[in-house]
Amino acid sequence: MTTVNNDVCAGDADLSDFALRAEEWLQTAVPVEWRESRGALSGEESDAIRREWDLQLWRGGFAGIAFPKDFGGQGLGLAEDVIFHVLAAKAQAPDGFSRVGKTLVAPMVVRSGTDWQKERYLPPLLRGEELWCQGFSEPDAGSDLAGVRTRAVRDGDGYRITGRKTWTTFAQHADRIFVLAVTDPDAPRYKNLSMFLVDMRAPGVSINDIRQISGAIHFAETHFDGVFVAERDRVGNEGDGWKIAMELLGDERGGSEAAARYVEIRSDLDLLFRTCGDRPELANALQELDERTETLRWHLAKVIDLEGMGGEAFARAVSVLKVLWSELWQVVARVGFEAHVPADREHWRYQFFESKAVSIYSGTNEIQRNLISERVLGLPR
Amino acid sequence: MNVLIDTKAGEIGELASEAISDIIERATAGTSITAYAEGESPLSWNALEEGGWDLVGILDDGEGAQLRDIVAIAQVWGTRLIPLPYLETVIAKRHSEIARSWDGPVSFALPTSTLGPGKQRYVPFGQFAGLRVVTALGGDSGQLIEIPEGRPAGLDLCARGLEVDVILTDFSETAARELAVVYAASSVGAARRMLELGVTFAKERQQFGRPIGSFQAVKHHLADALIAVEEADTAVIRASRTTEGVRQTTEFVVKRCIDAAELVLQVHGALGFTWEMGLHYYLRHMLTAQEIVGGLRNCP
Repeated sequence: MTTVNNDVCAGDADLSDFALRAEEWLQTAVPVEWRESRGALSGEESDAIRREWDLQLWRGGFAGIAFPKDFGGQGLGLAEDVIFHVLAAKAQAPDGFSRVGKTLVAPMVVRSGTDWQKERYLPPLLRGEELWCQGFSEPDAGSDLAGVRTRAVRDGDGYRITGRKTWTTFAQHADRIFVLAVTDPDAPRYKNLSMFLVDMRAPGVSINDIRQISGAIHFAETHFDGVFVAERDRVGNEGDGWKIAMELLGDERGGSEAAARYVEIRSDLDLLFRTCGDRPELANALQELDERTETLRWHLAKVIDLEGMGGEAFARAVSVLKVLWSELWQVVARVGFEAHVPADREHWRYQFFESKAVSIYSGTNEIQRNLISERVLGLPR
Repeated sequence: MNVLIDTKAGEIGELASEAISDIIERATAGTSITAYAEGESPLSWNALEEGGWDLVGILDDGEGAQLRDIVAIAQVWGTRLIPLPYLETVIAKRHSEIARSWDGPVSFALPTSTLGPGKQRYVPFGQFAGLRVVTALGGDSGQLIEIPEGRPAGLDLCARGLEVDVILTDFSETAARELAVVYAASSVGAARRMLELGVTFAKERQQFGRPIGSFQAVKHHLADALIAVEEADTAVIRASRTTEGVRQTTEFVVKRCIDAAELVLQVHGALGFTWEMGLHYYLRHMLTAQEIVGGLRNCP
């Protein structure tokens, strides 16, 4: 079996320097109480640490790593971003609440936003001061996202939004939400939607927590009852909502999440090797999981290498990333649960239930396979 | 954690794999593997030898093609499986001075996982005229001998193999490991080619008045085949850049190639089951690679 080692990015001096700087910073920045006794923290204590983490990232110079300098980012590349995510996961750093804003809102605003929107929203987002959540899915529009029913109706110099969004990650903590809503119910499908940036504290916004099968609460349902949003908070033109949403979903399935997931999977697998490595009936399964896990790490490296060249090879490699890590983690969690190790019982029960989410969010794995076959292999719709 | 491992082939690998790709694409343009798998090779051995392509793996004071480079070449070669002992010769000349002294093609006598523990060995291209068999790879010993008597091997038909029981080749640890990686890499090329054929077929084949590739059940088979090919490609790159657990990794690579091949066969429906369609030639190569990789596992 291979264990995680420390020879970060041998060969590239700039990357090595970056990794060293990140590792040093993480050593002192990660709060001890989080690293050592996260499980004992109350919900409020844990939230406070995660909220503070976003501010720490900015002060440490690690917010918006691959984001352009012109807009307040660090102006580095995917490689640095992935390195940081891996090192942060290894250092057991908290997961801040600014993730949705940084990975989704910031690229969207840079791509399609007005100068006013860039100036107003990007700085507090990168500083970790304003947190964002995502208003895409609805009770009746999941995989079929274009079927959203939330309406945005013209009212003076803005719109009134009414509808229900679900699976909003971090809704409880967010200051703002980006909302995909119908602006023209008579327009054809895909042409009827617009994208809005909405204040979560505006009158008419309310949320309900959603408890998951694991017992955890990571999501909420968000209700909009005639919520006013000014015209200057519409991203792009009326009718551009679908195009903007599709570009944004492309940002969601990137390498950084896969990098953090690799570290988590590796650590779960190491636990399995420590506790069950001598069980002959598990030998084949563990060996295959080890191959798949290390292949995931190399696959990520391959994606980074191919990124610069673009083209077909990159498109193929990156398209399979989410399916690779999500289905691998589900098998690890299931093998872990079925190994029935008394000392780790709670851990594996939780992991087993939690892992059920990863083949669903960010586009179900069935949708991923549709995208692979249509956009990468070119099969007819 | 070492995320940023260099996965790219070197300059030698890039240049050579592009050149080999040009050569074999030109030789096989417009023809299916069925035309040459059991017939005359569309490319002559001389064409490869004149370009010096059989010597591409030679190390001179440690300089020269790395295993990663040879993987790039083997992947390209696997896409067409031209019946010439090319990859065998590259590896033989890389690891044996006496093999380098012979101008023509060289192969070796391999253990495989289905030949059993006795003296039986498998000689890839043992039916190829003008071939020599080297008795040791890695180290300074070994001789070149002419092709012995034997029985034609029936699985990988493009490899024109021979089963013999009078000679065996000794492999150094490095040579055995590299050989396993090369057969895994050619399997990845074969799997990639099968996927390409499957996608083309799914776009053209009409049932219920539309291309079968528009049905989600078929799409998902081909998406899964791409996932398998990508995973195999990454794993074989990893196998070429590490020295630990490599044979275990190569077994994983070949297994994922076979996964992809099975899906592509299913997508072809009954046509894929016919000898004439020729898909089985690629699958036969992978199955043989699996036996070879399994056999090499028991080498020192």
